Amino acid sequence: MSQTAPTGDNKPNPEAGSVVFKRKGFQFMGLGTQDFIRFFFGGNASLAIIILILICVFLAKEAFMFFPQHHAGLKDYRQSGQEFVDYIGDEIGAHTNLYSSANIAYFAEVNRTSREEDDILRAHRAVLANLENLTSKTWGRFEREVDALEDVGDDLEDLDPAKEEDQPKIAALQEEKERLEKEIVKFRVELKEEVSAAINTNEAWELGVGSDAPPPESLPKLREAVLFEASPEVDEEHPYIAELKAVSKAKKAAAVEEFADFKATLKAMQDVVRPLKSLHSEIRSIASENKAVLVKLSTAADRKEAWIKGAAATKDPDEKARMLAEAEKVVIEAPDYDAMAEPFYEVIPEHAALIAPIDTEMAVLFQQLPDKVETRSAHENLKRAKVYYDRFVKTVAENRENIKGWSHEKPVSAVESVSSFLFGRDWITNSSWHDVYGLLPIFTGSLLISIIALVVAVPFAVSAAIYVNQLAPLREQNFVKPAIEFIEAIPSVVLGFFGILVFGETLRVVSQVEWLQWVPGFPMAERLTILNAGLLLAFMAIPTIFTLTEDALNNIPQALTENSLAMGASKLQTVFRVVVPTAVSGIIAAVLLGFGRIIGETMVVLLVAGNKIKIPDFTEGIGVIAQPTHTMTGIIAQELAEVDAGSLHWRALFMVGMVLFAISLIVNFSAQRVLKRFQKI
Amino acid sequence: MSDETREGSLSTDETPGGSSAVAPATADTVIEVDDVNFAYVKGKDVLRDISMQINKGQVTAFIGPSGCGKSTLLRCLNRMNDLIPTAEITKGEIRILGTDIYDPSVDVIELRKHVGMVFQKYNPFPKSIYENVAFGLRIQGIKSKSVLDEAVERSLKLAGLWEEVKDRLDSSGLGLSGGQQQRLCIARTIAVQPKIVLMDEPCSALDPISTTIIEELITQLKDEFTIVIVTHNMQQATRVSDRTAYFYLGELIEMDDTIKIFNNPSRKETEDYVSGRFG
Ligand SMILES: Nc1ncnc2c1ncn2[C@@H]1O[C@H](COP(=O)(O)OP(=O)(O)OP(=O)(O)O)[C@@H](O)[C@H]1O
Ligand SMILES: [Mg+2]
Repeated sequence: MSQTAPTGDNKPNPEAGSVVFKRKGFQFMGLGTQDFIRFFFGGNASLAIIILILICVFLAKEAFMFFPQHHAGLKDYRQSGQEFVDYIGDEIGAHTNLYSSANIAYFAEVNRTSREEDDILRAHRAVLANLENLTSKTWGRFEREVDALEDVGDDLEDLDPAKEEDQPKIAALQEEKERLEKEIVKFRVELKEEVSAAINTNEAWELGVGSDAPPPESLPKLREAVLFEASPEVDEEHPYIAELKAVSKAKKAAAVEEFADFKATLKAMQDVVRPLKSLHSEIRSIASENKAVLVKLSTAADRKEAWIKGAAATKDPDEKARMLAEAEKVVIEAPDYDAMAEPFYEVIPEHAALIAPIDTEMAVLFQQLPDKVETRSAHENLKRAKVYYDRFVKTVAENRENIKGWSHEKPVSAVESVSSFLFGRDWITNSSWHDVYGLLPIFTGSLLISIIALVVAVPFAVSAAIYVNQLAPLREQNFVKPAIEFIEAIPSVVLGFFGILVFGETLRVVSQVEWLQWVPGFPMAERLTILNAGLLLAFMAIPTIFTLTEDALNNIPQALTENSLAMGASKLQTVFRVVVPTAVSGIIAAVLLGFGRIIGETMVVLLVAGNKIKIPDFTEGIGVIAQPTHTMTGIIAQELAEVDAGSLHWRALFMVGMVLFAISLIVNFSAQRVLKRFQKI
Repeated sequence: MSDETREGSLSTDETPGGSSAVAPATADTVIEVDDVNFAYVKGKDVLRDISMQINKGQVTAFIGPSGCGKSTLLRCLNRMNDLIPTAEITKGEIRILGTDIYDPSVDVIELRKHVGMVFQKYNPFPKSIYENVAFGLRIQGIKSKSVLDEAVERSLKLAGLWEEVKDRLDSSGLGLSGGQQQRLCIARTIAVQPKIVLMDEPCSALDPISTTIIEELITQLKDEFTIVIVTHNMQQATRVSDRTAYFYLGELIEMDDTIKIFNNPSRKETEDYVSGRFG
């Protein structure tokens, strides 16, 4: 026994322990396979997080550099006097808006009297154009023949029938002429037939957007006139049309007479601001020059640096010397700011003297605008004119302080460079005057679109999820669920096409239906609108909200349903009193995540929202949704490729991205919070 | 459990159970199971030839090894098995209060209002204590505050929970302890005043003290309700029930007074089971 135990009897055998517990398999630096697999997965997870952090840092760095640059831009804006000029420009702008609204109202009223005739005449033009389109091929051939005939006639004139050698040519041409004449007669008949066939088609009577149909009793005559004028041998107006034109003209003349006061008021309005306008354009060009000086100054440093860098990089000594000389030439010299601003201080009294009478005069003139008008357009435009008048008065009042207190030296506060971005009402880029980066237009655009999308998608998606999850028979479930989830797989560009071509057009046509005119925003003039984008985004958000809501419902323990049913509750009572209330925070989270999906969507809004950078006009109430707009995502996608890296515009776009990022973060965070509450149940 | 109640509710010395001998229904009979077969999936009967009668005011215990079909039979009594699309009674009839409950003319919802059920896993709704108890009345369309208040108080008192929760009726039912939650579920069930209360292992997820409380509760409740309880706990069966039915592999082996089943069963299988030699 002692022979087989080499280490002795009474000592515990160390080998025995290590044989049992020792780690087996692949080992490297004390780490086993398990550890490596763990590190691999852990590494991937941390890599994702590191990339996320890098994105945040990079985005934040680029974006927040916006503010100092923006600050400098605002300073230039002030020092060049552009700010001052814009104060006066605002007064003129408000006045112009007021004037043009009133002007539209005037013409609506004047044209009212001859509306019937004008409708018929408009239809007449439209139908003629349509017929021409429909028969364009034959027309083209016909006209070619006519031209050819003319050419032959010219050639014949050039030839002398007395000359012997011309005889064969003349004979040939004569023959050709006869042939062409026959052809033309044939084409005439053909055209006539074609026109009389075409006039019976619906396409011929397509009148175009926004035109009113002519009164039905005029149709037979209109048809006759069109047929008459469309035939190829006729070159004059049909008497019916000529008569209509005369009547229309006479009526208009009478109306002009009738509204002479209105017209006079309008003219007076225009006259009264004329001196202010010329003052404005005078100082505007001064400010532009100042601005050019400042821009040159602000780029000078960059240019100098670029030359020096270039010199350092080149090996050729001559070239190097040249570049250094160039760098030397760039002067960085501050201009005389006081002298630059001098002209503006000088016009302050002049402006005060001008604006006071304008203000009082306009008050009188505005009162003179008629308050009883007959057409809807005139009525609406006068209402708008009232809004603009109030704005005008407000601008003038504010400017009293602004202009008196204006100083080119007043420092631009840091708050201003932030707030004028966050709450700025304009987004104007690539302008020769002054670029403005205000978030509000694109922010409201995004928000409105999202609200519409949510208002539409949430009821649809949530009720579909409730139905599919709780009420639908299995066979229906198996069909509906994949169908809805498939929407998610449709590329958004494709949806965008659909939105432009099918949806937008359909919406617009529907909006023109007579008995739907009570709907706010109808009839819609545009295809690409907030409504269109909102509806498409709703469509895209439905699968997200649907799937997540369904998950939330699935998470409700079956036992709860059973309990409710065992209490004698019906299936519907169970769904709406137990299941849905229990799942409600899950559903809210689903909606929030759907919102995140909507606000981050780019392609569809870029294609469908109309891309008009303007705060939607909320005076139209709900009708605001029929307007085009632009969005935060859309503007980044559209403009980023075209701007210089590092420019103010570029940074502004990054800042917009930052805002989007923040919104997504908040939405996701709240969704997670809500979900956590949900999971506690 | 007092002897007196047991004697009061004892039936004559008939021996229900087995497969064919069905005693005629007495005036006290509330549930009659008449030669029933049941299958979850076509062709595979999990209950075979079950016949039994359950009398008013008694507690009846279903015992038997796991998978023998106790829960299945219980859920047949308020048609909870309707939730499983393929499940159906393939033979026989179940009459409750004289009505064949699988007759097409029967309104399941109405049936379940009369035949309440308490589950093994207590599951209060994520609502307040008050709303949990009032749920059954609310879905019947009762809105009167006073009626609801009264019913909530009465049911919670019956369930022995009133004193513990009367000051926090508005707090969530999920905030209670397990035993309290189960009693809340019992209160919820009895608030609609069913004739029959079915309980499927109501104590198996609870601690001993809560179990005792609920067992006491059951013996008190039987004055008002006919109770059918499924249990794996033999002691519990002896403590709370008047009659006991022993199932084995989908068949009713024996049904008799609880005392008799546990002391002197007529079938050998029953004896093996209750004495712990099997199962
Ligand atoms: N939903 C179902 N679908 C198909 N078969 C089922 C279903 N529920 C139960 N079964 C089967 O029916 C038989 C009886 O089940 P049941 O639940 O009634 O048993 P049990 O006696 O209550 O058992 P336990 O004591 O474990 O609760 C079992 O064989 C089971 O597998
Ligand atoms: Mg069971």
